[in-house]
Amino acid sequence: MPVTSTFRVWSSWRARTKAASVSEPLVRLRGVQRRFGQVHALTGADLDLFAGEVHGVLGANGAGKSTLFNVLGGLLAPDGGTIHVDGVPVSLASPRDAWALRIGLVHQHFTLVPALSVRENLALGTRGRSLDEIGQAVEATMDRTGLRVPLDATVASIGVGDRQRTEILKTLLRDPTVLVLDEPTAVLTPEEVSGLFQLLRDLAGEGRAVALVAHKLDEVLAVSDRLTVLREGRTVLAAHRNDVSARGLVVAMVGDGIADEMALGVHVDAPTGAGAGAAAASRPEVETDPEARQVVAQLSGVCGERLENVTLDVRAGEVLGVAGVEGNGQHELALVLSGRRPPAMGRAEVPDEVAYIPQDRRTEGLVSEFDLTENIALGLARLDRFGSGWLMPWDAMGEEAERIRTRFQVAAPSTATLASALSGGNQQRVIIGRELALGAPMLVAENPTRGLDVAAAAYVHGELERLAAEGVAIVLISTDLDEVLGLAERVVVMSRGHVIDVPADERTRAGVGALMLSGGGEVA
Amino acid sequence: MTGGIAPARAREAALLGAGAVVLTLGAGALLLLAGGYDPVAAGAAMLRGSVGSWNTFVSITLVRSVPLLFAGLAVALAFRAGVWNIGAEGQLYAGAVAGVWVALTFSGLPRPILIPAVLGVSCVAGAAWALVPTLMRLRLGIGEVITTILMNFVGIYMAAWMVHGPLQEERGVFPQTDRIVEAARLPTLIPGTRLHIGFALGLVIAVALAFMMRRTRFGFHIRAVGAAPEAAAVAGRIDPARIVFIAFLASGSIAGLAGAVEVSGLTYALYENLSEGWGYTAIAVALLAGLRPGGVVITAIFFGALRAGAGAMQRDAGIPAAWVDVVEALVILAVLGLERVRAARPGSDVREGET
Amino acid sequence: MSQIELVLFLESAVRLGIPLALAAMGETITERSGVINIGLEGSIIAGALGGALGALAFDGAGLGVMVGALAGLTVALVFAVFAIGLGADQIITGTAVTIGGLGMTGAVYQARFGATGTELSLPTLAPLAIPGLSDIPIVGSALFAQAPTAYVAYVMAPVAWYVLFRTPWGLELRATGEAPTAAEAAGVRVRTVRFAATLFGGAMAGIAGAHLALAHAGTFAENMSAGKGFIAIAVVVLGRWNPILVLFAALFFGAASALQFFLQALGFDLAYQIFLAFPYVLTLAALAGWVGKSRAPAALALPWEPHR
Repeated sequence: MPVTSTFRVWSSWRARTKAASVSEPLVRLRGVQRRFGQVHALTGADLDLFAGEVHGVLGANGAGKSTLFNVLGGLLAPDGGTIHVDGVPVSLASPRDAWALRIGLVHQHFTLVPALSVRENLALGTRGRSLDEIGQAVEATMDRTGLRVPLDATVASIGVGDRQRTEILKTLLRDPTVLVLDEPTAVLTPEEVSGLFQLLRDLAGEGRAVALVAHKLDEVLAVSDRLTVLREGRTVLAAHRNDVSARGLVVAMVGDGIADEMALGVHVDAPTGAGAGAAAASRPEVETDPEARQVVAQLSGVCGERLENVTLDVRAGEVLGVAGVEGNGQHELALVLSGRRPPAMGRAEVPDEVAYIPQDRRTEGLVSEFDLTENIALGLARLDRFGSGWLMPWDAMGEEAERIRTRFQVAAPSTATLASALSGGNQQRVIIGRELALGAPMLVAENPTRGLDVAAAAYVHGELERLAAEGVAIVLISTDLDEVLGLAERVVVMSRGHVIDVPADERTRAGVGALMLSGGGEVA
Repeated sequence: MTGGIAPARAREAALLGAGAVVLTLGAGALLLLAGGYDPVAAGAAMLRGSVGSWNTFVSITLVRSVPLLFAGLAVALAFRAGVWNIGAEGQLYAGAVAGVWVALTFSGLPRPILIPAVLGVSCVAGAAWALVPTLMRLRLGIGEVITTILMNFVGIYMAAWMVHGPLQEERGVFPQTDRIVEAARLPTLIPGTRLHIGFALGLVIAVALAFMMRRTRFGFHIRAVGAAPEAAAVAGRIDPARIVFIAFLASGSIAGLAGAVEVSGLTYALYENLSEGWGYTAIAVALLAGLRPGGVVITAIFFGALRAGAGAMQRDAGIPAAWVDVVEALVILAVLGLERVRAARPGSDVREGET
Repeated sequence: MSQIELVLFLESAVRLGIPLALAAMGETITERSGVINIGLEGSIIAGALGGALGALAFDGAGLGVMVGALAGLTVALVFAVFAIGLGADQIITGTAVTIGGLGMTGAVYQARFGATGTELSLPTLAPLAIPGLSDIPIVGSALFAQAPTAYVAYVMAPVAWYVLFRTPWGLELRATGEAPTAAEAAGVRVRTVRFAATLFGGAMAGIAGAHLALAHAGTFAENMSAGKGFIAIAVVVLGRWNPILVLFAALFFGAASALQFFLQALGFDLAYQIFLAFPYVLTLAALAGWVGKSRAPAALALPWEPHR
């Protein structure tokens, strides 16, 4: 389609959608199912998207939101269920099929090519148009939406905010009639989020159907006309915004029992964050005066890849929260703090042994083709108490693995089960069990609940609390602001490699959000 | 380079290997038919030439399996550590040249000193040949696939130069070295056959490697680095570079041993084209064995039998011996294909739900 | 060095560089799509035999080149089916394809011409002098009085560069090699692109092989590819995955190989085998000294499957 006709198409769309019957949804999904191995991600999801609406999709971690959107975007093939577009049954076997039906998906994980320029990324997959034509269309779309990106920079060199904007622009360039956004707000600062939401309202106003998954209930409520709630892979509620209460939505998301324990509307995605916060207040303190606690790790003037003059103390028994937009140096900080990487400059005094829960379980935490015993041995065999001979202490490792399997309730038939056969939550249990067995004075945990279901996340938070109560220094690095605020006694923000202390009276979403934006320079 | 080759667990490895052999024989027979040959006659000749009699089996098949055994173990060790050592061929030549040089230069030494010296120096030479690609990978970040292959050519021409130049036999006529002294020759393993104790040495190394992989810390570290270098570094606090360095050089030294054992066990002199591509065949040997040292013993004998049978096939059925290379390629492809089919089997896909 | 010697040296440098350039050009496209085809050697030798048999069958070198291209493509197809279709490891698959290609051509050749190898005399690709250009002093005859296949390489370099960096098709190819999942999400058919790029590389390697048989040797010999496929892969690295630089890198290696004859002619007393090893040593040295800054396509050699 020639670019110059973009606006014409939009206007024709508006004409058409206005004429269309209100009761006929643009997209109708019924009973969609999808399984990954033994994990049933979707067991019967329904979703109706109408022209002209912004539709919020809610659900706890693991409820199947992303899977549902990926099905709609043609990235994942459903195992069952039907999809109708404009009343016609369709099969979405690839992203190409989705595009042919003008369904555009903005992915949760960026799908940009780092080595190519922003311009090239925007042009990718728009065959039939010349690169010049694309350039004009890009300019026009940037003007219209107010989303501005540096076109000639490589994607690798731009920040996450620009990447998110590029991702959205890339989708809008193809003029979708159905726009689906999966967690577009996760890497944006609160101010940027409100700008994006205004854009989504405008797009819906043009007669498109807009659907989004967002992390926070209040955010979704602010922008949506209608809502769909998923729980355990199934649609449990679909309603107009005015017909449901926040309380009712939370109950739909997590079920009655858990909802009662939660601080309403504060933190729906990892509800245990708030609950854990409450527990934090009541737990016995190791030492009441934080200043009197022993310093376990100390960084001074540490520089290195994505680290700028970082000075930081970590004390026994505290939970130090590190907030920040992803990619601002948190991972590098975790590697230095855990003794996995020496700083390029500056001084890092860290304990000999530091427990570390890496963000990426499958590449850094476990060897997927090793069984449980071998994965336990990976972390523990080096400890002095298992001897220092050149033979592997397999007997002791087998016992440790069995102990961890039982104690941390790993759902695996035996210690000979391969790590690749475990669900994400169970993999995390193995890692936690192993790292705790190190008996280290400090634990560094990086986004430890990402991708876990509610129960598993609650379990992880509980373990962190328990450890801190035992006097272990905990560094909790998370992009989930509510997780940090709920668990940590002391909070710092990482921004462009700088670590900024958050004063006690600014430990709020707004306060920390402002620091994320201003901190060590412009973030996005 | 992350490998698509996961060392299979014992039972699966055996099944996979058996399946690959069956597939290969089938495909090979079809290809022979297509080439206008009689696959039955070819098969009969092949069996006669490899396992037709006890003496054929021991003196031809087992003898031919010796260099494949060493080189196969070298490749299996490297691949296990995530090192794509395609350079066993060059390392083998380096070992052969070094070994024959020791045997010719120090011919006066008594056997209990000379033989270990020959074998020891060949280990060092093989490791030295592997050192260049090792350093290029670890210091410069250049993948070892291309560099090991290039080193193969350098090794082959270096050996050719040796037998035409510095180490050429006394009269300077033939492209070969003088024959090495009796004291540098490996004793016979089974009296009355040509099988030398190089075979037994290979078995010992196979057992030692199997023990190392399963029971020792170092073997465990090799497996961890080969399977998931990031996890080995982060969770295991293992230095992957150190493991790669040691495993690469160890692999080179075992390959170097292959060359020296062949010279001092069988040919007693270095010839221009000593190896019939053993270093490459070793890849098939190692893969078919699921990268397990114990399995390599069996697959090396299997390929030894193929090589032995190929001679008979050419003699008796008029089928070019080059077919053996085709069979080798088919074996590798069959293993790869079956591996992929196994990986794609329903239920084995336990990906985490993206939610 | 007299002018005659210089002209002869340059002429043989180009002649030896052309097959490398052809094969490396194809491999550049293949690698840009994220596939490293170590089986290139197999495609080259198949191209040589195909070229020889084709030239005999059709009694013409030109058609021989076509058959050679087809043979190279067929070998690459085997590689592609396993490495791309089944997602098998590319290095191992490529090694198998090389072993199989060398074995298969040997077997076919022996079956056709006997184990001893009767001296095979083929119709050759006659040099084609470009009027005007070939009259340029010194470099003219070296560059522009070559076999027609040389001009394929000259033309292919800028064309491949343009396609790669200035067309949507090239953009999709590069995206596929850098981030296949992202490319797929943008609607690119990743496997189709990789198949096409690999087959193109195989066909180019086949032409390189046919060039060896028909323009160089005028005959076929077993293993006559002599590792050129591997050097071509190194040339791609030296040329930094850029078709124009790849052409120059290939000519540079042609010059390195020509040096051996040249130095011998000048009476340097170095063993023949050392000259033979020279290009390989030089390749290693060049890789070590020159590669530093360049970066391979990010998804090179990584098997990719749509996660459906």
